[in-house]
Amino acid sequence: MPVAGLREMAWIFLRIGNLTFGGGDPIMAAFQRELVERRRWLSADQYALAFALARVTPGTNVLAFCAAVGWFLRGWLGAFIAVPAATVPSGLLVIALTAAYEELQGMRLAAGAIGGLLAAAVGMMVAAAWNLIRPRLVAGNRLRIAVLTLGALLLLLGFSVSPLVVLGLGAAAGALWTGPLAERQMREPS
Amino acid sequence: MNLLVLYLLLLKATVTSFSGLTSLPVIHHDLVVERRVLTDRELNAAVAAGRAGPGPYGLYVVSVGYFVAGVPGAFMGLLALMTPAFLIIPMARYVGSKANQPRIRSAIEGVLAAAAGLLVASTLPLARESVTGAFSGAVALASFVLLTATRVDIGWVMLGAAAAGLLAAAL
Repeated sequence: MPVAGLREMAWIFLRIGNLTFGGGDPIMAAFQRELVERRRWLSADQYALAFALARVTPGTNVLAFCAAVGWFLRGWLGAFIAVPAATVPSGLLVIALTAAYEELQGMRLAAGAIGGLLAAAVGMMVAAAWNLIRPRLVAGNRLRIAVLTLGALLLLLGFSVSPLVVLGLGAAAGALWTGPLAERQMREPS
Repeated sequence: MNLLVLYLLLLKATVTSFSGLTSLPVIHHDLVVERRVLTDRELNAAVAAGRAGPGPYGLYVVSVGYFVAGVPGAFMGLLALMTPAFLIIPMARYVGSKANQPRIRSAIEGVLAAAAGLLVASTLPLARESVTGAFSGAVALASFVLLTATRVDIGWVMLGAAAAGLLAAAL
């Protein structure tokens, strides 16, 4: 496989990481086209490993994915270039948007637009929660997911349990009460 | 607020989450409820600002940092967002296939389900501030439906919501 040039690599992470709308999955798909199919810097196996591990790495999945791909391409240096390249420009834009929000709050028309954005963000947060559990609501797994999700909601709202404790309880409950998918895999070790 | 403390609090939220917005309950608990350096409305605005542009989900912690401590705070947010990503390298090196073990996957599924419940719970105080009438209620509902039932890009949802709000204020 051809070796990735650092500058070219940085440019790709800059471009794909900051110009792809829609969050992690479209970004990772764009990397697949660019690095695996077009440039052949990354093997399909490496891509698959980065993709799978990113889902189980804490934090933002797509950034973990970038770290792994950068590391595959050029070691630690590659990772330390890839992650900031994919994050800093859109981060700067977020800073500018937040500063603009503080400036514009007093203006009537802008306040209207901001009101619309805030309401949409509320819908977005609930949608994010729903999209997180929806693919897991398969036959035999629904009760488990419902109990875990509603249990967490109740522990925070009704009993003010610290979110970190609730997440820990979720991990323990998930490990002890395994879902149908995991059990199937346990019976048929690959 | 001390920048190092801010970084560590934001890192605590990002390193215990597995997906974009699931760090929100921890941030809400630490910065809004416990330390009172952030308001519900600011947190709501941070989520909106984080999604008004391109880039990964989770960028809203940059905006949270800005609200708490200005531009230096925003850079703490940026650092807290990037730090956990590097954990994948030791995982790729040593753990490799272990991360795909059924019980570990099942535990992570438990964390994700709990995180979804927590996310809804900590959206409620934000909604109390910003969803106050028929118009904002309709926008929030439309946003939820578009993002769960269609494949429309979130950028258009945010743009449409801003335009609708502008129009409502002008009329």
